[in-house]
Order: sequence, then structure tokens, then C-alpha cells
Amino acid sequence: MNAVIYLDNAATTPVDPRVVEAMFECLGPAGDYANPAAVAHAPGRHAQQRVERARAEVAALVGADPAQVLWTSGATEADNLALLGAARFYQTRGRHLVTSRTEHPAVLAACRQLEREGFEVTYLKPGAEGIVEPGQVEGALRTGTIIVSLMHVNNEIGVVQDIGSVGRLCRARGILFHVDAAQSAGKLPIDVERDCIDLLVLTAHKLHGPKGVGALCVRREPRLGLVPLLHGGGQERGLRPGTVATHQVVGMGAACRIAAEEGSEECSRIAELRERLWRGLVPLAGVTLNGHPTQRAPGILSVTIDGVEGESLLYALPELAVASGSACATTSSEPSYVLRALGRSDRLAQSSLRLSLGRYTTAGDIEQAVAAIRAAVERLRGVAPPVAAA
Amino acid sequence: MSADDPRYGPEVRRRMTALTGAGDLPPGDDVLRARAGDREQGAEVVLAVRVADGQAVELRFRAFGCPHFLAAASWLTDRLHGAGRAAFAKWDWREAATALEVPPPKYGRLLVLQDAVHELAGNWPGP
Repeated sequence: MNAVIYLDNAATTPVDPRVVEAMFECLGPAGDYANPAAVAHAPGRHAQQRVERARAEVAALVGADPAQVLWTSGATEADNLALLGAARFYQTRGRHLVTSRTEHPAVLAACRQLEREGFEVTYLKPGAEGIVEPGQVEGALRTGTIIVSLMHVNNEIGVVQDIGSVGRLCRARGILFHVDAAQSAGKLPIDVERDCIDLLVLTAHKLHGPKGVGALCVRREPRLGLVPLLHGGGQERGLRPGTVATHQVVGMGAACRIAAEEGSEECSRIAELRERLWRGLVPLAGVTLNGHPTQRAPGILSVTIDGVEGESLLYALPELAVASGSACATTSSEPSYVLRALGRSDRLAQSSLRLSLGRYTTAGDIEQAVAAIRAAVERLRGVAPPVAAA
Repeated sequence: MSADDPRYGPEVRRRMTALTGAGDLPPGDDVLRARAGDREQGAEVVLAVRVADGQAVELRFRAFGCPHFLAAASWLTDRLHGAGRAAFAKWDWREAATALEVPPPKYGRLLVLQDAVHELAGNWPGP
């Protein structure tokens, strides 16, 4: 049996072997396995040093000070801590937030929770190419707006938002700016100072690190307040209590360091492969690119393929690991809310594929993927009835 | 195909491998056609049947839809081979649901097939 070609790197990435090696060094009886908070003994201090080195590696990737980095279990927890924690802390200043309709569910669900607590949320509608213009954000701000939340790269369609412009307009008005950078960290330049980001969310498993660990970078000057979600020991300045998982954060640190060292060259290569993939699919008539043609991340290609049903298309592509434009389960076939927000009909949203490339994607993978998709589309279109006359 | 995907039973997997019965029949006085469903709703089918001596002697389908739907259309072309008007008229979607282990959220798509089969029965030639 041929190996499956993995083109679902926006969902998660394989862990880089160099990251695995660093993590192993923190697990076994000969490694740095001790509790990093147990600084009264040498093994604890060794573990603490590993944790702090990792914190510095994460911070360096995004232009932050290591003291700004809080460990979390991933982006979902970090988004929740950022939004719920900051909104609850600053609610005496105002109870209004601004975000977009195409944010990750971690952000949208946190906003819904805040609405249940009496906050108001404005959900901006992006343009047909998935971009939220800074002017839209500016127009939504009002007295009582305390937070703007905008993802850097959309996880479904790969478009890149102009976070620098939005950050500067928020900073000028004293409004907190939260950015979910789960899909962009290590792939696009991010600088929390330059981009005026107060709360930045990162996750390891999207950049060839382990699952189960993420980080929230919190502005320190002036110090930003957060109400913690969890209560326990005083780890992470009391904002995220719980024993720090040394091997996980060391893995995240290694992944960030590798991304910082190799990301630029790697992303050029991946962007070229993505373009080759797109050019390979264009000859299939009825193929539409979802999202802005140039303002996009290197590794994500979302396409709508007219004339095929999404679930059948995925079924017909067992040699590919890709994502569809719907939940695509037997109990749910809800079309993607992101694609619907861009104006795609339910049917077209369900006839969409997200192909996301990563560090281990090769030119050969792309050639095989193009051939497989072409064959599957032609077969399914051949079985479909001719379109009925209007 | 997706041999290890637990969402699809063995008959769906078998049918999706070849999609036997896919295609159309050349027009003729002995050929009936029925169209049902709506592509915008995710399921559309065209059934064609050649009738001789009151029986379906050849069936073809064209379909747009999920794997369960495509497989059910393929299965139907075998199931109704040799059947007469009465069998077409009383054919019930539940038979396909059982044979293909179709999950309940997709039962509505099988009704599209039933609509097409019953329309064929309504247009059946002869007494």
C-alpha cells in the first residue's frame, strides 16, 4: 500500500525529529524530568533551565521578552485565557469587543461566553477575498470597546490579515489587541512590539512541535491584567497554574528555534509548491481559489471545485490526507462558516478542499496530489447528471 | 478506496470502487427517465430504464451526492433489474438504507431515489 500524502498541515504537523530528541531529553530517568518548580534541588533547577530556555526561544520567534510568555495547553486555552481573562479584568472600562466572523472557534466560542456574561461583540464580515480591512475595525470601535481580536492567518483559507495596521490603530486608542497566530507563527514575520500586539496566541503543533502545548504572550509594559481561568499553584505568575510540562514546552521551544532559523527559506519553498499545486488544478474547469490571491500564507490552498460533492471527493482521494469544506461526518455535513462568510453557497462550500503543505511536503507529493485530484474530479463529474436547464 | 473508513459499510465501499450502472441509455420508445433531487440540496439523480415485456431489462444512473447516495443509486440498478411496474411503485427507501447501512442523517437522500423510482413507475408503458 502506498503511503498517504499528507496535505493537512493546517490541522497539525508531524513533529520534527530534532524536536522529538529535545523532548526525550526531558522524559527518562537520566533526563531533565524533575518538576521545574522544584528549584530547591539540582534536578529541578536543571528542568527549570530547560523551561526558561524554551521560553526564550518562543519569545525570540515573535519579538517578545521571555517574561511575556505564559505556557498553556495550546491555542484554544490561550485564546480563552486572553479573551475571557482580559475582558473580565477590564470590564469596568467597557464591555464591547470586536472580532470577525471567520475567526477560529476558540475565539468565537469565547466571545459567545462573554456575550452570556453581558458583553457585546461586533462580528465583522470580511470581504469576498476573506480580508478584514483595518477601516472596518476602526469603524466598529466605540466608547467601551476594550478588545479587538483578529487572527493573523485564517486556518481554512490561509488569508493574511493586516495585523500591523489594526494593532497600531488599537494602540492609539488604548484598546487591547489580541491575535491568534496559530497558523502564522514560524511562517510569517511577527513582532509583538512592531505590530502593537497585546495578547498573542501560539501553538506548537502547527510548526512541527508537539500537541498539547501553546503559549500566550502578554504585554508587560505597561503590565496587562488578566483574570486567570484556572486556580491552583502559583506557576506562570498565577495566571496559568499547574505543573509545567517540561518535555512539552522544551519541544515547543525547539520547534520555534528551528522555525526561526529555517522558516524563511522553508516558506519560500512551500509557497512555490503551493503555486505548483494551484497551477495543476486550474486546468480542471470550475476551480475557484478561496481567499485573497496574494495576501495569503505560504502553505494553505483552499479551492472550490464545482460539479463534485465534497464528501464523495474526499472518499475518492484515499491517497491524500486533506480537509474538506464541511464537517464531513455522518452526523454532520455543515458547510464551512468561513466559506459561507465569503459568500460561497452551501453546495460550493461543501465542494471545497483545503490542501495545506508543510516541512515534509515534496514536489513529488504535489505531482501525485494533482494527478489524484484530477482523476477523482473527472470520475465524479462523469457520474453526475448534466446540470438541469433553468 | 477508503477501505478503513468506518463511516462506510462494505456495500458502499464495494459500490464506490466501480460504480456499476453509472451512465445513461440511448433514447428510445422503450426507455424511461426520471430525475429527482436538487444539486443545491446535495443529492440529485437521473435514473434511466429500458422496459421490455413489462420488465426493467436495463438500468443506468447518474448521480450527484455523497458516497452513500452514489452507492445506493448503483445498488438500485441491480436491485430493480427484472422488476415490473408494481415493484417500482412499491419500492421503499428503507430497503436501501438497510442494504447499504446508511446512517439516519442521510435517510432524506434515499427519499430522492425513491421519488425517481416512483416517477418511473408512474410513466411505465402498457397496462
